[in-house]
Formats: sequence, C-alpha cells, structure tokens
Amino acid sequence: MPPEPPDSDRPNPWGAGESGAAGPTSPRTVVTAEGDKAAAAEQFNCPNCGGSIEIKAAGYTVTVACQYCGSTLDVTDPDVRIIQRYEEEVRKLDLPLGSRGKLRGIEWEVIGYMRRSENGTYPWDEYLLFNPYYGYRFLDTDGRGWTLGRQLTEMPAKNGLLGFTVDGEFYEPFYAQTRNQVDFVLGEFYWQVQVGEEALTADYVRPGKMLSWESSKHETEWTLGELLEPNEVPDAFGVEPLTGGGLPLPHQPSPYKKQSGQMMKIAGLAAAAIILFAIMFGGTSDPETTRVNLATNGVEQSAKIGPIELTRPRQAVTVSARAPGIDNAWIDLAYTLTDRDTGDVYEASNVVEHYSGYDAEGNWTEGSRSSSSKFSMVPAGTYDLTVDAAGSQWLEGQYAATRNAVVEVSIARGATFYSNIILALIVVFVPAIWVWIRHLSFESRRKSDSDFAGDDDDDD
Amino acid sequence: MAKSENCPNCGAEVVFRSSGLPAVICDYCHSTVKRIGEALEKIGEVAALPFDVSPIQRGTTGKYDGRNFEVIGRIRLGYEQGSWNDWLCLFSDMTHGWLSESDGQFQMVIEQPLESSHSDLVQRIAAGGDAVPGDRTEIDGQPYFVADARWARCISAEGELPFAATTGWSVYNVDFRNPAGLSANVEREEGEPPGFYMGRYVSLAELEPRYLREIQGWARPEYAA
Repeated sequence: MPPEPPDSDRPNPWGAGESGAAGPTSPRTVVTAEGDKAAAAEQFNCPNCGGSIEIKAAGYTVTVACQYCGSTLDVTDPDVRIIQRYEEEVRKLDLPLGSRGKLRGIEWEVIGYMRRSENGTYPWDEYLLFNPYYGYRFLDTDGRGWTLGRQLTEMPAKNGLLGFTVDGEFYEPFYAQTRNQVDFVLGEFYWQVQVGEEALTADYVRPGKMLSWESSKHETEWTLGELLEPNEVPDAFGVEPLTGGGLPLPHQPSPYKKQSGQMMKIAGLAAAAIILFAIMFGGTSDPETTRVNLATNGVEQSAKIGPIELTRPRQAVTVSARAPGIDNAWIDLAYTLTDRDTGDVYEASNVVEHYSGYDAEGNWTEGSRSSSSKFSMVPAGTYDLTVDAAGSQWLEGQYAATRNAVVEVSIARGATFYSNIILALIVVFVPAIWVWIRHLSFESRRKSDSDFAGDDDDDD
Repeated sequence: MAKSENCPNCGAEVVFRSSGLPAVICDYCHSTVKRIGEALEKIGEVAALPFDVSPIQRGTTGKYDGRNFEVIGRIRLGYEQGSWNDWLCLFSDMTHGWLSESDGQFQMVIEQPLESSHSDLVQRIAAGGDAVPGDRTEIDGQPYFVADARWARCISAEGELPFAATTGWSVYNVDFRNPAGLSANVEREEGEPPGFYMGRYVSLAELEPRYLREIQGWARPEYAA
C-alpha cells in the first residue's frame, strides 16, 4: 500500500533548495514481516517533508531520493540525514517506484530512477531494479527501446585498438568518452547519487548488446546491456509500448541482415538449380552439318539437312552458320524447318557478315562470321531443314560477284537460351539484393550517430 | 568436533565448530568471545546487526568447487559510501572461505599464503602501501586490476569467526578483478598479520544454495527450489 503524499502546502522551515548536512534526522524502523519470513523493507519519514518512505534494498542502499519532495537523503547511518534538500513537483514515472514485473523469468521491483543527459542533450532514463535473490539490474531507455543491463564482475579484455571482448564476444566502439550528469533522481540507490553529479561514459556495441564503461569519482564500472524486445517491458510492467522513431539504436540488430542472408541462400540454391536444369535439359546434341557453296553475287542457293529426329514432346533446336572465309561480304540465311508428316513449318532467318577497312582512326573490322538461330518448343517429329542462302560482296564501293564463299550450316537438337538464364538469375537475386541494400542502409543509419562512424567493418 | 560452551558474559550457549575458528559472537549479549586454550574470554562486543535483506543467513549451505559448505558467521563492514557482508563458510573438510557480498554481487575467496601471490603490488599493500583503482598486477601468471581500495570499519558481526572482531575495528581492503572473473583481496588490519585471499566471482545459483533466507513478498528463486 503506497503511503499518502504529504500536504503540498506543508511549511518548509529550512528554506527551499538549500543544501547542507545540518538539520533534522529521522530514525528507521523495520517493517514487520508475517510468519517466520524475514522482513523485506525498512520505513522512515522523510526528514525534509515528512513523507513515509520504504527502503526495499536495506543493507545495500546508501542514498534515497524522497519520492515526494525529491530531497536526497543519506541512509548509511541508523538516522536518516538530508544531503540535498528539494521542494519540487515530483514527476510521474513511466515505471513507478515499487512496481514489479517479470523480465526473462525473474521478478524485479523498480526501486530507483535517474534522468541523465549530456548537459541537457541526449537525455535518457535509467531505472534501478532489485530482487534480493538476484541483486540489481539497470533498465534504460531513451525512448527508442529498453535495455536491461547488469554490472560485470569481470574486467572486459581490450581487443585491438578500440574494441573489447566479453565472454568471447567482440564489441566495437560506438560512443567515445563523454561527460554526462544526473538531472533528476528518485528512489533508492546502492551508491551515492546526487543531482548534478558527473560521470564519464563510453559505449561499445555488437548486435543486440551494449557494453558500457562508466567512471565517476568513486569508481569505474562496466555494464553489459541486452536490448529487450519492444513488447517485453510493456508486458512485464503493464506500460505503453515506446513510440520510438528516429535513428536505430547503437546496438539494434539489423532486421534485414538475417533475412537477406536467408534470401541470399535461397537465391543461391535457386540459381544453382536453374544452372543445373540448363545443363541437363538445355544442352545440345551432336550437330548435323552441311556446306553450301555460294557465289557472292546475290543468287540464292539452297541446301537441305535431314532427316532430323526430334524425340522429346517439345524441344529447342539450334541452327548455326559459319562462313570463315568471307570478307567485306554478307550472307543472308533463311531457315525452314519442315515436319515431314504434318507439313508444319518453322521459319527463322539470320545473317553472317564481315567487313574490314582502313580510315583516319586506323584499321577497323565489323560484323561476325558466325551466327546462330534458335527454334524453341518444337514438337516431336521427323524434320528437314532447308537453308536458303544468298551471298553479296561489296568491294571498292560496288557490288562484286567474283569470289565464291562457303557457309557451313549445322543443326543441333537442344539450345541454351543464355539470355533467359541470365534473366532468371536476376529475378532470383533481386529480392535478396534489395534486402541486402536495406540492411546496408540500416547499418549506415545506425552508425551515423557513432563517434567512430566511417569505420565500415562489417561484423560477422 | 563441535564444542558447546557458555558465554563468559551472559552464560548463553556458544558453539565452537573448529579449532581454526577461535572466536564467536554471543547471539544474546553480542559479546565477542575468544577461546584461549581451555578458557573463554570476553574480548569486547559488537553492535546489533543493522537490518538488511541479504538472501544469505547463518545455516545457508551450498557447494563451491565440488565441496559442501555451511555459512556459520559474518562480519559486516562499512565505509562512508556503503557497506558489505563477509560471510564465513565452513567447508566439509573444516577449512573455511569467505563469501563476500557487495551490491548484490558475490565472490568466494579463500586465504592463501601471502608469499604465494608473487606480486610486488600485493606485497606492497600488505607491507602498508596504498593501492589505487586501476593498478595492474600479475598473480599466478594472470592479470589482475585493483577494483577498489578503501579503509572500512567493522559495523557488526555474528556467529563464529577466525578472529575476534569488535565493532569499530578497522581494516584496509583492496579488491582485485580479472578478465576471467577471478578475484583477489588483500586485507591489512590493526594488530593482525595481513591477509591475502583468492577466488572468483560467483552467482548464487551456481552455489546451489539451500536454506536461503526467506524474505517477505519475494518468491523463492528457482535455483534454490
């Protein structure tokens, strides 16, 4: 049962804001427990405002900031003494002192609260949690997420120039040493807390975890914080979820990294499958070849290859042409694939050409002496291929008709449609690459607030 | 082994469990009683223990490095910014160690011969020198750092003890930490030879404790169920 706050118009005989050791003290009494259990708390009345205060971590607590008037009180001696006197409107906390919640299987009571900042900028809330069987934890938030921290008993080992290792896990530097101060304090603490007290902090991160160094005039401590899932604190303490926004937290794991890794794996498997299929089903059989002798004067010549047996229900057929001897000549090719039984006709045309010469920029060549045409989805059957070829030559500015050319035409069952494969591979990889780009962009936004930004090492 | 006697001050029963633990605090009159040969002598007295919510109490048992222990005494020490408990643990082989409880963290340390440290810093502290947090030394080939160094005062004590503690008795205590979670302490006190202790930080759970103190409003922890 929380005690009633004192009357707000209570006279303050010592004057507001004045601090000093002199003044009234107040005795502590143990709150009686039931049965044979040990008591859990001590009680006293604030020597400044008279409000009734309970100490939940008796024996550990050395400072209490009165939850009614905000005065800081020294409780190391049996008589509670005022360290710093305040008469302020005490603010309402998101997690009220005395509230309890279960985080990761352990019940915690909120016993202390501090508002800290770097001289007013980058403010954050720090709650002190207690359970007599598990000690203390820190619950921090700057509005973007909750981090549960525990003070380390081992000294983190320096790793490299700037990083540290704890439990075999590497932490990269994120915030360099900064001075910050306590702006506001409520509740009880196991160290001396006072508004305005300064400390130096530095932070190191890995995905999901933050290692914090803190040095005050009394001691140096390391805290290891774990970023909680957004629903954990709301579920445990019945508070509203944080609205967040802004940059990712320094230790926020990239939501895209795992996803993009998985997608890369899937895309890789799919690509391997596509390539395997292309090799298994797209490969060409031994080609049948014929040669056509052409006069390069535009007169059409014909040749026939066949019979060609196509056994699969549907298949690709490749017709290749090669004219190694031509120069400054082109050969128009028309292919007709005719089914002997049904008379169905499949047509394609192509060209082989080659030109060369000399101009202001030197020797030049153009064209290709070979080409290939593909028929796709040709049904099973017995086929003949008719090749109609007409050669032309261009010599010294006019058509020439003297030289003969030879074109070699071959037909093969099957075809590898490289463009299709490349298209398929792109389609398969695009989503993974998209997510990977989002991951990189997340990481660069996450690191943008770091004092060590520009260090682009990806930590795998 | 346990020997039952009567407090020379008030006549209440006091128990000595080991010849290595010649002192006891009378539970009734808080006298510090020391056994000298066959005789018992009141050396001084301690203040009543201030209330705390420590989960440990006399009678708590547990296991450390495969050996069973029982908590049979404690010293409560304080300094201007806080206080801590050193719980005396009697192992089944009648040796003892200290379960030191500070800010909800625990370390178990066992006294070692001072020379075994092979550390100049430890020797210097034992000989009367001061240490500063951050000082580095090597003990047993392992790096250690001074985590804190301070004068403390005995606030109170209870149960059996290896020496006759009285309220106001003061000690200079230096705590060392290590990257692997090991710990070491050097204690320099009035009228006693310096003490050197080594051990490591422990969680209560790993000690498999039984007979923890039951505290109103808090569920018994899973590790002690």
